[in-house]
Amino acid sequence: MMEEILLKAEKREIIGKQVKALRREGKLPAVLYGPHIDSQAIMLDFHEANRVLSGLTSSQLVIIDVDGEKHTTLIKEKQRHPVRGSIQHIDFRAVSMTEKLRANVMVELIGDAPAVKEFNGVIVTGLEELEVECLPKYLPERILVDISVLGKIGDSIRVSDVKAPENVVILSNPSDMVVLVTAPVTEEAVEMVEEAVEEEPEVIEKGKKEEEEF
Amino acid sequence: MLMPKRVKWRKQMRGRMKGKAYRGSEVTFGDFGLKALEPGWVSARQIEAARRAIVRTMKRRGKIWIRIFPDKPVTQKPAETRMGKGKGNVEYWVAVVKPGRIMFEIGGGLPDDVCLEALRLAQYKFSIKTKIISRTEVSGGEA
Repeated sequence: MMEEILLKAEKREIIGKQVKALRREGKLPAVLYGPHIDSQAIMLDFHEANRVLSGLTSSQLVIIDVDGEKHTTLIKEKQRHPVRGSIQHIDFRAVSMTEKLRANVMVELIGDAPAVKEFNGVIVTGLEELEVECLPKYLPERILVDISVLGKIGDSIRVSDVKAPENVVILSNPSDMVVLVTAPVTEEAVEMVEEAVEEEPEVIEKGKKEEEEF
Repeated sequence: MLMPKRVKWRKQMRGRMKGKAYRGSEVTFGDFGLKALEPGWVSARQIEAARRAIVRTMKRRGKIWIRIFPDKPVTQKPAETRMGKGKGNVEYWVAVVKPGRIMFEIGGGLPDDVCLEALRLAQYKFSIKTKIISRTEVSGGEA
């Protein structure tokens, strides 16, 4: 059972570019919406939100206390600063505990693949999230995929091979690849390909001057 | 070295590098990435040098993603030439990089210390400031 994560929030009147001033004051702008509530702009304490939300997966439930009114939510989107990586804005989607919901759950690879140790194989990850449907209380934090079954190069694990936790239905396409082991590419092969390509680029349209010369 | 196969025009104007890289600013494919912290032109030669440094450290294991492409031609006039008589010849190709851009990513089942060492060596090959970031550090486990 997941631990309960509670965040205090206040209603926010300031919208648009003025939220920059809020960020300077140590507040984190966010929005709360859902199928049964009206969309509302809220703000959280930046440091508290950063501390609480930093290790969360996208399928963990967060309880938002907006001026005393509690909402169970999922994090729909986190906007980050492109250089600093700090959180700039969060979308919380309110969920009903009695209705089934669809959410993306992170895939975590566990174990060691013999194909990597014995044949120097390269693990290529395909889907990093699986779409699942279940009641919010059964929503898993992450779906564990054991890669110790990948014995040789070319072996793969598809969505159909992933065992869904109890009361959870996986909706992602069963034939989609989750993990694949490929052969390593040698440095010589890469260099040979690149040397062969190294030529003057072909010019599609010539300049006016050059056309006049013809 | 990387360069386009076909181009519409042989020579380009220099352009400006305003703003930040809002796209391509998150580690998407691998486990670790190299993020640009300032704007600049990264030449095909620098990209190739960094790639070689990474591949050598990885010892043919793991996977590498190059997320920038040098598609901008840079011209130079020959030495001791008088001004005028048109624009110079294309000498090399560069990728225009804005702050925040993930330039390289590595992953594919490699140990963390190998990834960090590979990217540390690659950092020396660029003329702009860069930072090594991990996928979990930035996204906090959330994709």
